[in-house]
Amino acid sequence: MANRSGAAQRPNGQTQGKICQFKLVLLGESAVGKSSLVLRFVKGQFHEYQESTIGAAFLTQTICLDDTTVKFEIWDTAGQERYHSLAPMYYRGAQAAIVVYDITNQDTFGRAKTWVKELQRQASPNIVIALAGNKQDLANKRMVEYEEAQTYADENGLLFMETSAKTAMNVNDIFLAIAKKLPKNEQNAGQTGNNAQGRRLTEGDTGPKTAGNCCK
Amino acid sequence: MTIEMTLPLLKDPQMQFGAITFFAKQHQGDTCGSNGLPLTPNSIIIVGRAQILKTIKNPYLCNYLDIIRGKHERTIVVSQYCGTPLINFIEKRPFSVDEIKRIAYQTLEGLKVLHQRKMIHRTLSNENILLQANGDVKLFNYGLFHMSDMGSLVSFPVLQVLYTAPEVYLNGLSSSYSDPKMDIWSLGICLAELALNKVLWSSLKLGQKIRKVTTLLQVDTSIFEKIAREHNCYEQYLELPEDLKDLIEECLNIYPNKRPACDKLIENPCFADFKVKPTKTISKICEPFQIFTIHELYHLWQLAGGDVFQELKKQGLIRSSPPVLSVPSLVLIEGTILGQERNPSTLYDPRIVQMPLDSLYQRFAHIPFPVFYPLIHCKSEIIAKFDPPPYDATGLPLIIKERDPEYQLHRVILLRRLLHGYPFTKDLIFEEANKDIPPFLRGEIWATLLNIKANYDIEYLRIDKFTHTTTDRQIEVDIPRCHQYNELLSSTEGHKKLKRILKAWVCQNSHYVYWQGLDSLTAPFLFLNFNDEAKAFACLSAFVPKFLHNFFLKDNSAVIEEYLCKFSQLIAFHDPHLANHLYEINFYPQLFAIPWFLTLFSHVFPLYKILHLWDKLLLCDSSFPIHIGLSVLTQLRDRLLTSGFNECILLFSDLPEVDIEKCVMLSMATFKITPKSITSRLHENEMFHKKTELDITGIGLEELKKERCSRISVNDVVRLVRSDFEGVVLVDIRNHTVFSRCSVVGSINIPFSSVSFSENVIENVGAQASTIKSKGDKVLVVIGDEETDLERFPEFLLQCNISKVCVLHGGFNTLLPITPTILTSTISI
Repeated sequence: MANRSGAAQRPNGQTQGKICQFKLVLLGESAVGKSSLVLRFVKGQFHEYQESTIGAAFLTQTICLDDTTVKFEIWDTAGQERYHSLAPMYYRGAQAAIVVYDITNQDTFGRAKTWVKELQRQASPNIVIALAGNKQDLANKRMVEYEEAQTYADENGLLFMETSAKTAMNVNDIFLAIAKKLPKNEQNAGQTGNNAQGRRLTEGDTGPKTAGNCCK
Repeated sequence: MTIEMTLPLLKDPQMQFGAITFFAKQHQGDTCGSNGLPLTPNSIIIVGRAQILKTIKNPYLCNYLDIIRGKHERTIVVSQYCGTPLINFIEKRPFSVDEIKRIAYQTLEGLKVLHQRKMIHRTLSNENILLQANGDVKLFNYGLFHMSDMGSLVSFPVLQVLYTAPEVYLNGLSSSYSDPKMDIWSLGICLAELALNKVLWSSLKLGQKIRKVTTLLQVDTSIFEKIAREHNCYEQYLELPEDLKDLIEECLNIYPNKRPACDKLIENPCFADFKVKPTKTISKICEPFQIFTIHELYHLWQLAGGDVFQELKKQGLIRSSPPVLSVPSLVLIEGTILGQERNPSTLYDPRIVQMPLDSLYQRFAHIPFPVFYPLIHCKSEIIAKFDPPPYDATGLPLIIKERDPEYQLHRVILLRRLLHGYPFTKDLIFEEANKDIPPFLRGEIWATLLNIKANYDIEYLRIDKFTHTTTDRQIEVDIPRCHQYNELLSSTEGHKKLKRILKAWVCQNSHYVYWQGLDSLTAPFLFLNFNDEAKAFACLSAFVPKFLHNFFLKDNSAVIEEYLCKFSQLIAFHDPHLANHLYEINFYPQLFAIPWFLTLFSHVFPLYKILHLWDKLLLCDSSFPIHIGLSVLTQLRDRLLTSGFNECILLFSDLPEVDIEKCVMLSMATFKITPKSITSRLHENEMFHKKTELDITGIGLEELKKERCSRISVNDVVRLVRSDFEGVVLVDIRNHTVFSRCSVVGSINIPFSSVSFSENVIENVGAQASTIKSKGDKVLVVIGDEETDLERFPEFLLQCNISKVCVLHGGFNTLLPITPTILTSTISI
């Protein structure tokens, strides 16, 4: 664990007692801002012309929550429908998912609902799902009403926030909300041991082999 | 051959260029387009729109050479500039009637070309008609109205007050009124000035001049006559021949619809003497042949240190003011900036700065004349002896070669000649491209390497690029994210072109679908052929079957999985140590290499790197990208070997700087030494990879996934045994009895059953361990048969970090029919 102690010290410099590691996946139609949300969360940056994601990208970020350090292993997936076949490889075994849509585009909200359904059906049963209505900075071009999304989220037991990767609004908050909702005890389902590294993510893989590792 | 002969070739009086500069209109505040993206800066839109001007080649029009962006929307236009503006001669020397007619005719020819391309000059005047030493004229600065999108992208009016047709004023300067007839009026004024040898209304102020032009609308007699009378030139007017008077009068018709168009005016019998027969061009891959073009001169001038920006600075056209002066006095919350207005008079500067060529002349002074006429097909030694010794640049890094003006001069001259001979010079071009590809001709050379056919433009015209399809949304969201750091690709023109090419491709390839990444794949072709969309499309269409056969199928998983398996096997073949590490930490290519291979690195590298990478790729086959992948890993090897899964995957999510020249060299090296069958695939395009029964066929994906070491074909083994026996170790793992009965000449026997796989130590193979350990870089071919396990043993060698391990496909028996045989028997008969 020595190599992790550095990460465990941020952001307030105190070494935390407990480190939890969670796999989180971002899903949603292409160009809704998945990569931008991750980039904002992980590096605090925003690129107007964020390149499209092919396959998937992987990033990590650690946040502190009371006495616990939560490390997110984030899989940022490609949005295009064609890459759908790769998605299970990434959401399988994930403890959390953020399904993103673009508030200025009704179709992307429809697509988000499909993703939620798929996750409820095929991902780990305890998965924490958050719905993010991104591009809140373009609220004057809004096509998806806040209430509509909120109602849908309530019905399906999802966390919901409208976010803006551009202005950073609610970006950290949504990750924080997920971290709060995730179980952080050792009875955590799917725990496989202390070593969080070396995970198999191939197609034929079954079961929550990659599921969370929580260690003191 | 002497210096005196070379320089005149370069010192052609028409081979000179100059630059003008202006500011594009700045967007107010922090404004966004409807898609939430920032508005494209107007200077970028101008750069995109101006590209097409570079393709205009006409003896009566100055060639456009370059459009450069500076800070704060500064735009610099570089164009041919030679001769003297007509205005400089007026009132200084008389023009003969013939001279005026010739000027009129040539100007009309120039205007005709513009009007055919739906462009309007709008600023035609005697200031930008340049008289050459040989009496011809060239129009200058005719593209400003086009590149500024009818003036809408700049904050100054695009016109020459005195020469502007009255209807332009009537319509209002900001209106989008654009009628080519306005240029005819301007020509009329130019000719009137020449005929009367008088600068018109020279003493009037700006406003008065405009009033003068508009009052001409009320003239119901001859406008030309009225102008002549106003300038006390009535007698001169009377002396003019009728046909010239009529011509000017026709041009100065106040009704645009009654004013004749270019084509009609050109037919005027008074021009009969000046008509030149048009010459037809034949080659379509590149332009008609010239010994040396001004575009090349400009390119070499830049390489030799020429800097337009610096020249403009030197001449005082670009002045930097202290930043404190540009601080606005007030910024509103929504972003509007106040009190920072630029002085309008600085917005358009009519001055032209001639670029000095002396240093280039000096630089090239020693170049012997025959360099401009290289011998390409030479059978006679006597003639070849007179050829100057080739310019030696071998061994220099590519980046240096590309910036060496003299080397590039040689390359451009040679390759342009070869391009003219295409398709007959295909092999020669290939050979030269193997050395390096001069950046100046990259677009054309790539097209020939991809075997583009001459009728590519007609084929492109036929394709439907406009009907709405379900893919449109995806294409539309991808384009504004595709290599947007590049000015051309981020310009409005660039977006339009990319969209059309992608739509055309989807339409033309009904068996394929649009996958994200295809945009990046198209970008290099569009960048290189920005003014020839059809060629960019043709290149893409030829590129995909050659390098990405079946990658864009709706279900491409089998193709990609196989490709990634082969990638893993190639890593194992060349770098077992790395392969074992990645295997142990479960770091599979599926997690990071899909964008590499699906877009052939065009999604992961910036354009300038892609160009160098593809320069070589185009000379190789579809297995080359696997080698590129390997070389990228090799460059990051130390970091990968010391990292766990998370660190490795993070490394690739944010790919660190890759030295592309090193990468290219490494990939070429492994590509050359790797037997072809190691990377052969089931999903290869048969058109480019002909297969026989001696090649590897019929390996299913499931089987392939189990094999960590690659197979090798009988063909390759036989070739290695016959021609490169020193480079191969043959390990026969059949039992000793069958081995002694019949085996490959020189092979060693390690019976499969004799090896213990309990530990990964090479000593377990017994007496032959030292042979294997000391084999160095030799290819190790494992030969077995149905009785032996063909997975465990090679994998064992791999785990012992033995490199270049491969398995003979089909086993020992496939060697039996080979004649002349490579087999032997140790049992004497």
